[in-house]
Amino acid sequence: MAATKQDTLGRLRETRVWQSVFRSGWGDSNLHRALAVQQNLFLHLFPAKMRRRSLDIGVTWYLGTLTLVAFFILVATGIPLMLYYHPSVPQAYADMKDLQFVVSAGVFLRNLHRWAAHAMVLLVFAHMARVFYRGAYRPPREFNWVVGVVLLLVTLFLSYTGYLLPWDQLAFWAITVGSNILSSVPVMGLKIRFLMLGGNTVNANALLRFYVLHCVILPLAAVAFIGVHFWRIRKDGGLYRDGHAAARAAESGEQRHG
Amino acid sequence: MRKKIGEGYRALFGDSPRAFGTLGVLLLACLAVVPAKDHFREWSGYQSGYLKYIANRGDAATLKRRFEGGIHQDWLPELGVVDRCGTCHVALKEAVLAGTGPQPFRGHPVIPHNLERYGCVLCHGGQGVATTVEEAHRSSKAWEQPILPARYVEAGCGQCHQNTMTGTPELNQGRTLLAEYGCVRCHTVNVPGGGRMAASDHPPSLEHIAGKTTREWMYAWLKNPQAYAVSATMPNFQLSDDDARDITAFLVAQSTALEVAQGPAETGAAAAESGEGSSLYGESFCASCHAMQNAAGLLVGGNVGPELTRVGTKVKPEWLKAWLWNPGQWSPTTVMPHYRFDGKQIGLLARYLGSQTDSDFLAKVSLPPATAEQVAHGKKLVNERGCGSCHEMNGVKKPDNFAPDLSNVGSRSLEKIVFAPGVQEDLPSYLAAKIQHPHRFGPATKMPQFSLTAPQVDALVTALLAETDRAAGLPAALRVPGKVESDYQPAGPAGKLIADLRCFSCHAFNGRGGDMAPDLSIEGSAVQRGWLVSFLKNPNTLRPALIRRMPRFNLTDGEAQTLADYILTVYQTPAFEAGPLSAAGFTADQREHGRQLFYSKYACQACHIVDPKNDKGYVGPTLTQAGTRLNAAWIVHYLKDPQKMRPGNLEPNQHISDEDARDLAAFLMAQTKGGAQEARK
Repeated sequence: MAATKQDTLGRLRETRVWQSVFRSGWGDSNLHRALAVQQNLFLHLFPAKMRRRSLDIGVTWYLGTLTLVAFFILVATGIPLMLYYHPSVPQAYADMKDLQFVVSAGVFLRNLHRWAAHAMVLLVFAHMARVFYRGAYRPPREFNWVVGVVLLLVTLFLSYTGYLLPWDQLAFWAITVGSNILSSVPVMGLKIRFLMLGGNTVNANALLRFYVLHCVILPLAAVAFIGVHFWRIRKDGGLYRDGHAAARAAESGEQRHG
Repeated sequence: MRKKIGEGYRALFGDSPRAFGTLGVLLLACLAVVPAKDHFREWSGYQSGYLKYIANRGDAATLKRRFEGGIHQDWLPELGVVDRCGTCHVALKEAVLAGTGPQPFRGHPVIPHNLERYGCVLCHGGQGVATTVEEAHRSSKAWEQPILPARYVEAGCGQCHQNTMTGTPELNQGRTLLAEYGCVRCHTVNVPGGGRMAASDHPPSLEHIAGKTTREWMYAWLKNPQAYAVSATMPNFQLSDDDARDITAFLVAQSTALEVAQGPAETGAAAAESGEGSSLYGESFCASCHAMQNAAGLLVGGNVGPELTRVGTKVKPEWLKAWLWNPGQWSPTTVMPHYRFDGKQIGLLARYLGSQTDSDFLAKVSLPPATAEQVAHGKKLVNERGCGSCHEMNGVKKPDNFAPDLSNVGSRSLEKIVFAPGVQEDLPSYLAAKIQHPHRFGPATKMPQFSLTAPQVDALVTALLAETDRAAGLPAALRVPGKVESDYQPAGPAGKLIADLRCFSCHAFNGRGGDMAPDLSIEGSAVQRGWLVSFLKNPNTLRPALIRRMPRFNLTDGEAQTLADYILTVYQTPAFEAGPLSAAGFTADQREHGRQLFYSKYACQACHIVDPKNDKGYVGPTLTQAGTRLNAAWIVHYLKDPQKMRPGNLEPNQHISDEDARDLAAFLMAQTKGGAQEARK
């Protein structure tokens, strides 16, 4: 039975379709493993080799990965939610009601999106605290810390823009208060608020702007910076180094070569 | 045992792939809750319950065939309404289940509206989009409009209907009360589609009050208006003794003297029999507008004018005489007619009314002379309490928006309401409590204490609940406006007479006026001049079953003729020419045929009397003098369509042919007996 399975797989690997997708060939040599990672768009963010130790839960608590999982859940639930939602003043709240009362699994979708959003904000903060207390922001990772801060802001803006979309009292007043806080920025506060809301009060324009920000601009920005973030982890020497190696590397400037 | 658990754990979570696999299966199991919850929604239980409920009925097959599962939805895009009530209330359109059986399987009672076109929440409130019992009926932070309790359901009608309808007594009464009790003098209530609700009470001007009554009476009245007149609409302001004293001090101080023409000298009244004043009160139909408590304590009379049970305790005799002579001198806006009483009549009435006293009312009132501080304090109180919203006083401005605007009170958010302790936390209970006991809502509440019965409070709450945001934003096509009073004013000397006699208080002309007496807008087409002149001079009742009639106004011949000519010339129907038919043009055959039609074919004697000896009809007017009273052309057109000539008339439309109508007119025009008697008088 086992032999047959091997044969079937073997024949499959010889097909032209398989070879056009997995171009690096099959084998468990270092070369094959490295090629498998490098030649794949999704896997090439990962190092071809890493220390087993760095996968221990105690090293990272998986906080970055969990954040990424929360982001995937948000994308996966957000897209179906977009199918039921109109960013217009008369319709937005009614759409919430439809999700609640008639859409199949509408409540589940909406709640999952909401809780995943809360979880993502929490995880991002926890991740940042872990990085800070472990000193993982130190050179050579200082640039990735900055990218992380940008991602933190993107996450918070995603959360804030999503808050308005249900178009209920809570949403309206939260955004009103938030935008008023923004307007106290010296000199150009009112201009910033006008730009953000598309007017002086929270209204149809603000709803549309927040919708576009929430569903297009900020998710694209998040994806781009997440890519940079992961790529930098690899370039900065992976998730884990022992202290001495890191110190040596810092001294010799070796880390530049990753 | 422990070993077994250990083995089991290892089998499930022993290494990473196993743990991953096990957790994945667990997650899938959790996710299975989602479609399960979707399948077992609350409403599906009600739908299967309905099928069980109808299963034992004889018409189960029919009902079952008409039943359709799933979510039912009415969508009214122009109103922004989505109703899913029919998802659980599955039998709303089943006439056989109307008003019977348990909810939600009851059919809707028959109403003039199509359920699909108007939906449910438009009338009943509640959250139409919801498909769960709790969310649909009760209010929550996510939906502020709960379902309207059944006892206030007429408020739903009032959102579109500003008019008076026979099916909504509660709403009609509530709106009448808002106007009669002067609620809308302090509170603004905008009517959807423009304008605001107008008050229908007549709060007197207090600019000359010192000439009318005493300070003691004012004091006792202010302390408790209902102790003076049970029907008084003025609320009790629950003033302290000192506050009431100071307000009377101010009222007397601000009052100015009014120069009025004196009536004729009183002659012969003193020598009259004791019952004559009371008879004159009855003959003048004072009780049509004014009420008095009888010996049993019941109010007898109308509610247009003030109650007169204790009027002798209130008014000064000179004032009463001047008022009886010509009320318009004292109050240009009064609805009371200028009766043109002679000196004797004024004396009789003044003596009769002056004897209507209550010694207890002023027994304990003794006021020291007012000081300047009291007057100043009284003025301050008058301004604080908003007296100027209803009464005119010298030096007091009518306050604008003295009380909160109630235009959208039916949609007021519970979040914005401060409930008094013990008041149930919903809008109808709040409104009822506020109307019944305003002072439960704190000592700063300015609203006075009204004397309203529980049904009156319910009616007021119904009327207020109709004032919703939705009512204000309805498309014009759905709005049914109320009756709009025209500002019609007849011209010339007759116009002056009509104004002086306050004809509009009882009669309507061209869309303006009261409904106590017939609408006279086309009366000129109906009657003959001779009869009209004699009626104006000496009115009698036309119906045998009716005692009430128009009061006698002591008109001179000239005045009666002026009025009659004006009525005959101006108040004509455009529907026909009065001229062509005349009594002389009818033949004896036509008259005889008309007689047969009257007694046999149309059986008019069931309601009318032509032959006083044999006919017994007591419903319609007596027709013994129809020939001198009515126009032949009017009779013909009226018989052909009574409701067109007199809307709301009881006379059935018998679809009488032209020929029959003409012959009936011939017969009726020959009836001149009553007229002959009248002429002899």
